[in-house]
Amino acid sequence: MRTMRDLEKKLRKLDYHQARLYLFCNFISLMLITAYSIMMLSPTVLEVLPEGGDSRKQMVAIFVLAAVGCTAFTVYATALFFRKKSRQAGILMALGISKKQLAPMLYREILALSFLSSACGILAGIPLVILLWNSFRLLIVDSAQMQLNFRAVCLVIPLIFLTVVIGLACMTAKRYLARTDILDTIQEEHKNEPVKELGRWCGPAGIVILFAGAIAGFEAPMVYMKVVQAYPVWWLNLFYIPVFIGLYMILLHTVVYGWHFRKKHSGIRSNIISYSMMKFQGKQTVNNMLVSTVLTAGACFAIFYIPMLSYSTTSDLKKRPYNYLYHYRADQKGLQRTEVEELASEYGLSLKDWHEADYINLGMDGITDVGGGESGDKIEYQYEQLVFEGKFFSESGFRELTGEEVSVERGSYLAVSNDDETNDHLISTDCTVFTNMDTRKTLSVSFAGRVHYNLLVSDKGYYVLHDADFAEISEGAADEWLGRMHVFNVEGEDDYRFADRFFHLFVESFDESCNISCLYDRVNKIAKNEKGMVYWGDKDNMGSVDFGRINDTDFRLYWEYMPKSVMLEKTDFIRTFSVFLMMFLFIFLICITAACVICYTRCQTIALNNRYVFDDLKKLGAPPVFLKKEIRRQCCIVIRTPAVIGITAMSILYAMILYANDGKLVMSEIIGLGICGLVILGIVLLLYAVYHKTVKILVKELVDIP
Amino acid sequence: MLEVKNLYKSYETAKTRYPVLKGISFHVEKGEFAAVMGASGSGKSTLLNCISCYIPYDKGDILLGEQNLGDLDKEGLAKVRNEKLGFVFQDFMLLDGLTVKENILIPRIIKEKADRKAEEYAERLMEMFGISHIKDKYPADISGGERQRAAVARSLINDPLLILADEPTGNLDSKSSRTVIEAFEKAKQEMDSTILMVTHDSFSASFCDRVILLKDGVIYKELKRVGDQSSFQGYLLDTLKEMNHAD
Repeated sequence: MRTMRDLEKKLRKLDYHQARLYLFCNFISLMLITAYSIMMLSPTVLEVLPEGGDSRKQMVAIFVLAAVGCTAFTVYATALFFRKKSRQAGILMALGISKKQLAPMLYREILALSFLSSACGILAGIPLVILLWNSFRLLIVDSAQMQLNFRAVCLVIPLIFLTVVIGLACMTAKRYLARTDILDTIQEEHKNEPVKELGRWCGPAGIVILFAGAIAGFEAPMVYMKVVQAYPVWWLNLFYIPVFIGLYMILLHTVVYGWHFRKKHSGIRSNIISYSMMKFQGKQTVNNMLVSTVLTAGACFAIFYIPMLSYSTTSDLKKRPYNYLYHYRADQKGLQRTEVEELASEYGLSLKDWHEADYINLGMDGITDVGGGESGDKIEYQYEQLVFEGKFFSESGFRELTGEEVSVERGSYLAVSNDDETNDHLISTDCTVFTNMDTRKTLSVSFAGRVHYNLLVSDKGYYVLHDADFAEISEGAADEWLGRMHVFNVEGEDDYRFADRFFHLFVESFDESCNISCLYDRVNKIAKNEKGMVYWGDKDNMGSVDFGRINDTDFRLYWEYMPKSVMLEKTDFIRTFSVFLMMFLFIFLICITAACVICYTRCQTIALNNRYVFDDLKKLGAPPVFLKKEIRRQCCIVIRTPAVIGITAMSILYAMILYANDGKLVMSEIIGLGICGLVILGIVLLLYAVYHKTVKILVKELVDIP
Repeated sequence: MLEVKNLYKSYETAKTRYPVLKGISFHVEKGEFAAVMGASGSGKSTLLNCISCYIPYDKGDILLGEQNLGDLDKEGLAKVRNEKLGFVFQDFMLLDGLTVKENILIPRIIKEKADRKAEEYAERLMEMFGISHIKDKYPADISGGERQRAAVARSLINDPLLILADEPTGNLDSKSSRTVIEAFEKAKQEMDSTILMVTHDSFSASFCDRVILLKDGVIYKELKRVGDQSSFQGYLLDTLKEMNHAD
């Protein structure tokens, strides 16, 4: 060993041991990012989640969050690696190496480590995604559509991420070089980063501020709409900032004081050592715990989605009285009973419980925003005769279709809602006039109540009129406003092949004029056009669906005439959403991994910076049991606090979202939340395993070594 | 060889300024083995850190040979640490993954002069300090005394003008301490090395030619060694007692 390069090589060999965590973090993050990219950019996923759709945006948003999580734990691992190297650098500097000489050594080393681990991570990402994808095909759903195809472009994202990781690693190296101090190494001292103690009030105040921020952020758009009479603007989201301030204060209180409610003057706290250790590294500890809390909350958000979605879907399908429901406009060919029966017989199936009824689409009146102010951006409510489109059955038609006995007086109407009335937001209960859109003949009505039927739920709402009123208002209506609905069951076990063929034939029976989304309201469009305005659904084809992409999520979820089929939805819903499920599973894995690694590295950093405290305690005769207890206490606070806050916050948020949807929590939602509780148990067990492992490693480093 | 003139150093906290060195002046001759002693907080470590170029000082001059350390930039100070100073630390400061011989060669590698001659020189130093048999061993596999002798050999590899030793026997038992002090004595006698040692240990200091006693940031007294080691230790202990009781 004669040259600096020889020394560098020799030291690098040693560093591979110290760099295990950095290599692991880099490897894991690149592996996850690569697998996610391959999945996200595969033609199958792109077909299921079309460009510009909400689902695609959601997927990209999740990816961004995942990338942020990966970046966070890679940066922390880099910092920890340099901290472990600080003794080596300090000795070399004490012996006369200049920072100019040290810098290239460090940069070469970090680049070598980054490239090595990243390349392995990228390579490992490919089998991982194959494994995950095929596990889904094996365990959840397998179909010809579920093909995993690779494209070279998939590797662009990991390579960009790799560049970012390397850039950040070099920045950390630069910062480390600037901060490395010979005396720190020689005197075994480290610069403390104590936090400014605000006082014992900061924790309780933090809780108040956190809740105040959550309420302010939630209510601000509504207050804004009432006061300014305009739609909410983006900056109203800033009202959520107190949530993070409050969270920071709670974590600060946890680190500095803890949450022990003890009597005054009761003596020195028994956990004074563990608290002191964290307190003097407080700034970074609080910051890390904040990031970890957000990541834990993100992980919960992602993983809760899976049981909630699965349960609500299966629960909804189980409640259906008919296996199939389809409807079409009177000017379309549609599928007649004989055609469907013939098709069923091809698959050895016979049909039963066949019922059908006519309906009409009418214009409904109501209060609507007509756009006030000079540029029309203000909210100005006004009564209009033509506001919504609704689907109307006659009393007898509804009875024939559903078998439900209903009674409605002349001049009144019933609105169809589901059993627990969670879809009430889709129906209008304050209408006074219905309009035939061809003849413009009107019918004065009053709301007579709800009739419950789970299958008849759509964005436009279903209603029931007295037979005479139905006949009167339907007179002269063109076929494009009239429709026919069919329901039936399959005798015995249903067959997916039949359901799929039925769906394809049904779609083929429509012409291009029916490629509209269920959100496209023809009554509203006519009303807007009559005022010389352009309807939103006519801008950039926003209100249309693509007949060429009938397997897309957007088509299946939003086509106005999408038939309901338990078999098709049960099988294809999982298939369609399996991409979502995989994505959410991924985001969970990434966020929870990042949170665990951050907590672990923080515990390691606190322990490394305070190793002399343990040496002193040993010299003072502290028994191993005492030292282990202090380590456990410290790790417990660093790992437990973000977990408790993150999980609790996300559970409350989920419950709030479910409650805010319809102003109540129904049984299926409560059961869904219960399943989330089981998921939480799993997360808690995982975090406990991390805590246990961290304690074990730190005990080995600080207590077991003499 | 080393001349410290009117040296001032203070530390500042947010509210208070603590003067640590209050105008210290002394010099160490070529080939001299000098020690600095004093109670905790007397400023001896700060003095050593200033001379080692680890921390800047407020006022005064430190002349190493002809070089005024105050005139140098960071690169210049690193060069001085490498070429003109040798260091022996209380905690040895050997790199764990390198062998004893490789550790000794580090300053020479940093200087980019680690050739065959340097290796032969390292071998000679190891032989001189009785550590040739452990040259291929790692620090974790040898005793504290052997580690510190390896550190002394490392401090000499670049033929520095001055060796600075910070509590070199602080982590050693008396037997090992003795071998380390003997190593310093050998370096002085056989290589005409100049050594400045900071220590708490009157036994180690009693081997020095001169002991500078610091109290509250000023030099209390300088004691020249007269007579044999044990009588000098006695004299040293008496003076330390006197210093500790003086107002």
